[in-house]
Amino acid sequence: MTASDPVADEPLTLLGGRIPYVEGPLKVTGRAEYTDDIRRPNQLVGRLLRSPWPHARLVSVDLREARALPGVAAVLTGERYPTPFGVLPITHDETAIAVGKARYQGDIIAAVAAEDERTAELALEKIRFEVAPLPEYADPEAGTRTVAEPIHARGLAGTNIQKEVVQHFGDVDAAFAKAAHQVRVRGSFAGVTHAFTEPLVTIAEATPDGRLTVWSATQVPHYLHRALSEVLGLPMHRIRVVKPEVGGGFGGKSDPLPHEIACAALSLETGRPVKMLLDREDVFYTNHGRHPTRNDVRIAVDGDGRILAYDVEALIDGGAWSSFGTVTTYYNGVLAMGPYRVPNFRYRGRRVYTTKPPSGAMRAHGGTNIRYSIEVALDQLAERLGLDPFELRARNALPPNSTTVNEFRITSTSFLKCLEAAKRASGWSEKFRKLPFGRGVGLGCGFYISGSNSPIHFTPKMPQSTVHLKVDMDGGIAVHSMQADIGQGSNTLLAAIVAEVLHVDLARVHVQRVDSDVSPIDLGSYSSRVTFMMGNAARSAALQLRAALVAGAATLLGIPPSEVEVGHERFTPRGRAEPAVTFEQALHQAMEKVGALTATGAYQTRPAGGSFKGARAGTAPAYSFSAYVAEVDVDVETGDYRVPKVWAAFDCGRVLNRLAVEGQIEGSVHMGLGQVMGESMNYRASRMLNPSLLEYKIPAPQQMPEVEILLVGDADPEGPFGAKEAGEGPLIATLPAVANALYDAIGCRFTELPITPDRVVRALEERRKEGRPWKGA
Amino acid sequence: MGSDDRVSFTLNDRPVQAACPPERILLDLLREELRLTGTKRGCDLGTCGCCTVLIDGRPTLSCLTLARLVEARSVTTIEGVSPAQGLSAVQRAFVELGATQCGFCTPGFVMTATALLREHPHPSRSEIEQAISGNLCRCTGYLAIVRAIESAAGSAP
Amino acid sequence: MHLDPFELHRPTSVEETVGLARSLAGRFDYLAGGTDLLPNYKMHLNLRPHLVALEAVPELTGHSLERLGAMSRLADLERDPALAAAWPALADALREVATPLVRASGTVGGNLLVETRCFFFNQSYFWRASLGFCLKADGDRCHVVPQKTTCYATFSGDLAPALLVGDAEVEIAGPTGRRRIPLTGLYDAGGDGIRRLTLQPGELLVAVHLPPRARGRRGRYLKLRVRPAYDFPELGVAVAGRWDGDGRVQELRLAVGGAEPHPRTFDDLTAPLEGQRLNDARRAALGEEVARRVRPVHNTFLVPEYRKKMVAVFVRRALAQAEEGRAA
Repeated sequence: MTASDPVADEPLTLLGGRIPYVEGPLKVTGRAEYTDDIRRPNQLVGRLLRSPWPHARLVSVDLREARALPGVAAVLTGERYPTPFGVLPITHDETAIAVGKARYQGDIIAAVAAEDERTAELALEKIRFEVAPLPEYADPEAGTRTVAEPIHARGLAGTNIQKEVVQHFGDVDAAFAKAAHQVRVRGSFAGVTHAFTEPLVTIAEATPDGRLTVWSATQVPHYLHRALSEVLGLPMHRIRVVKPEVGGGFGGKSDPLPHEIACAALSLETGRPVKMLLDREDVFYTNHGRHPTRNDVRIAVDGDGRILAYDVEALIDGGAWSSFGTVTTYYNGVLAMGPYRVPNFRYRGRRVYTTKPPSGAMRAHGGTNIRYSIEVALDQLAERLGLDPFELRARNALPPNSTTVNEFRITSTSFLKCLEAAKRASGWSEKFRKLPFGRGVGLGCGFYISGSNSPIHFTPKMPQSTVHLKVDMDGGIAVHSMQADIGQGSNTLLAAIVAEVLHVDLARVHVQRVDSDVSPIDLGSYSSRVTFMMGNAARSAALQLRAALVAGAATLLGIPPSEVEVGHERFTPRGRAEPAVTFEQALHQAMEKVGALTATGAYQTRPAGGSFKGARAGTAPAYSFSAYVAEVDVDVETGDYRVPKVWAAFDCGRVLNRLAVEGQIEGSVHMGLGQVMGESMNYRASRMLNPSLLEYKIPAPQQMPEVEILLVGDADPEGPFGAKEAGEGPLIATLPAVANALYDAIGCRFTELPITPDRVVRALEERRKEGRPWKGA
Repeated sequence: MGSDDRVSFTLNDRPVQAACPPERILLDLLREELRLTGTKRGCDLGTCGCCTVLIDGRPTLSCLTLARLVEARSVTTIEGVSPAQGLSAVQRAFVELGATQCGFCTPGFVMTATALLREHPHPSRSEIEQAISGNLCRCTGYLAIVRAIESAAGSAP
Repeated sequence: MHLDPFELHRPTSVEETVGLARSLAGRFDYLAGGTDLLPNYKMHLNLRPHLVALEAVPELTGHSLERLGAMSRLADLERDPALAAAWPALADALREVATPLVRASGTVGGNLLVETRCFFFNQSYFWRASLGFCLKADGDRCHVVPQKTTCYATFSGDLAPALLVGDAEVEIAGPTGRRRIPLTGLYDAGGDGIRRLTLQPGELLVAVHLPPRARGRRGRYLKLRVRPAYDFPELGVAVAGRWDGDGRVQELRLAVGGAEPHPRTFDDLTAPLEGQRLNDARRAALGEEVARRVRPVHNTFLVPEYRKKMVAVFVRRALAQAEEGRAA
């Protein structure tokens, strides 16, 4: 905090408490407006034709019958807008509608706009494609070799490899050579998906003034804005992106998505508004969920359990597109670099295209699967060393204000406090290896970025987040920013930060709907960046407004601004209760000559990372840390298990909205539990078998553990009021904590997720076959 | 019922009559024809419960109900349980205890919870979990929802 | 998702219903609770141009301890403590069906006649078209056990096993009048996932009759599924019986559903146990024998080897818990 920051030393009055969501009353009454709740006059229905083929050349298409159908307004194929796009500028390999070939079952190959849904679907049935089938590539391993027909021309040297990352820091082989112990875990992870409750939906409206307005369920309105501009060939200023309320994202709405662009294209084509609401099955095909992954983690330690080296490989199933995949490929390695000190590190990661729905970013993107394997490996090492798992981790904790071997700048970390809190609260010492057969406790830890230090786009150079404030004579404070509230509570935090800095009632602050015409750019809700970046931008904007109000108050009080004390909705001479100037009086004085007061605050990350290739991946202005203990209770005959309790110690720096943080942690535990217990995108070859909420097994309320939340973080030096992220990191530790608890309960290691009951039974049988007793059973 | 392609029923305590072909689903009638958009479409196949409404007081999936078959029955939507001013006890508890995050499932949960508390004014935790187990929430992990329903049960209506 | 247009009929008596059925021969489906039929219709599975809604037929509604109207809503039955006390296995099963929201609409008849399920059948038209369809809808082959004649879709109702162990009978109305048969006779043991019922064209399930002789049997229904809500059974085991003061079996019934194209009973295995005391070994032996006979295939979420293994465990547990008289 700088000396010019007058709120740095003030006690918090609103932040730090439990702040109900500002839009909560609208949500609980059904009055919050989501995209599908909007209907534009004369609106058409947009529908998509999806490829039934996993991989096929589109030889020709006959649209005549479809176009001739009464009520059909437009039929489009990929050639109309063939410009490729993608969330990362370096891997534009996606198209709004397939051009030349279809790359997975579910790939969009045509789009229709019609007067009603039934007509649109009839039209889809009348589109006739002539295709030449191409080889199906379901297995990423096979795709690492030269293939007959690469899914994309940009695959590495005739293979389906989309991205390969090779990194080596220190000397891993030498470290292993002198290791006292080493352990290896080969993890295998089914793909999982976000399964937000609000389906993907977009409305686009081209208007006669040459503009295009797009309302969409998106986490990244700015990236959508760019993609629309690039693909449709319209300057950004002629496009307006509006983000209504969004019914959950978890990363699944953090790419510009093909249907959004196809919808806009249909509107341009017809000159009418078009709504495109995806069926739930379509949402599964759009996916961009967590990558199916195989990893191979070797860890070397010395005789005291100090980590000497990690040697990591990852084979990542990318599906048909790149999406965030280049980042994923890095993250599966570099997010191994905390919360422990790792002096030597080698990584080889390959992300391979397959003819499956594209994988992308999902909550705790890139940090979840690798963390699982590491934490399971550490559990094994602790056992071999005869060390308590907590002790092994404490010995290796990254210290505050340190640098990792790959040059991550670690500032605040309360990891040791997380360990202490989880150990104490869980009664670990009375439980670990002491509960009867079938019951157990396990420890898992986590580490995640609090925002990505690098923006996705480097041109033009601009802040990661910008916030505008406007206050007029009515005394209401309008807040504009393109940060995307998707349910995590960022609108509430934005309002609360402004109210805190200005010491005004929260009810004065009105966060405006994201609208690219008026909202200054924030890059959106992904990489756990919003609290940190938007928070700092909001704080900065509010400080400027506060200075203007203080100046107004100072004029009225006849004292210099430095002598003004800011109280709740009032200004007084420092140290005195009277005379007082109200907020409105100060405001009206301040705006006498200038009209409405406005302020702009921005946040930009400082440069970070080394100078080697890929050095920026995983750099963040701060990191979150966690230590979770899970308790499990296994039915050793059926393999069914319950998780009665999770102790979740989390370092998100200073807690700004306790209600929201707790909600993120509980929701993360639920989502993490899903990936452990049953969530899985199942395939036969590359056809998804379970594209429905009935067969995609999200845990039921009865499966939720009690969650004891332990928020132990110290304030971060650069976070807004000392805060760091709490949106994604809280998921990570859940998975290994449960797996390690299963080991404590039944003596079986699980390296394949999800751990369904049949796998538990099989593991128990294998252990018995090996003649390895556990806790007397 | 008559084959005049209409349906008459009580909607939020008022009689309503609407044009309605046989294949019209109640959810579509509510959202698209009557423009009551508080009831949400999440999966359209009866799994997620976002479309929950009360039919004769019982929480029911409007996405799996033919609109014509609510003839002469009573349908209550989220708009019908929301007071003209302020919030109901259930709604207030959902806001104050963080039982709504993205909010998309929330109207469905409010309907289920409202009906539960009418039937069991003081449900046990496991009764609550059982009662809400047809409503899917991807944000909260259900814990805050259970707490909110418990809290609403403890407060005056 | 919309439904394709159909004609909706809403008869108000059994006779009128049967008459409609006759005139619409082969071109209609009955609509009970709709919780299974309407999702299937939304996915364009075996659409018919007419739906005959049954909710306005008074004779089909209402229930007592002896009779469950076919249109009795599961949620109503679930809330009847006298029914639960008299028929504990049924009470278990009622609570285990899908979700409370499904049970609000779902009916006894709908659950007994529920369409068999398979990963290759319960999919959208688009999905199925991409594989060239299957025997059960629009196609001519099976993707589970590749061949061209037999469908392996799984019977997935929870109520049938629980009612089978209560010696339930079903009343059926048809063009030639009414008949009443044991529930076992409703399911075509010689059929497959398509030809799975013995109902004749146009016949209507009117009611389930619960014979007083079976009332008050101790009973249990155990359901295997991934989650304690939502899911159809991956296996369902029901047991009911009476034990004398010495713990000797007086009568015993066992039924298994959720594993094959039809639910089934095992009277030849349970009858010899009458007069005997059950112990862990006997229960286990019965479980193993039942498991040996049950042959699940890979068309549901959990692998068949596991489901088969669980037959033995569930039978053993259901027997023990029923004997303990675990409260329903």
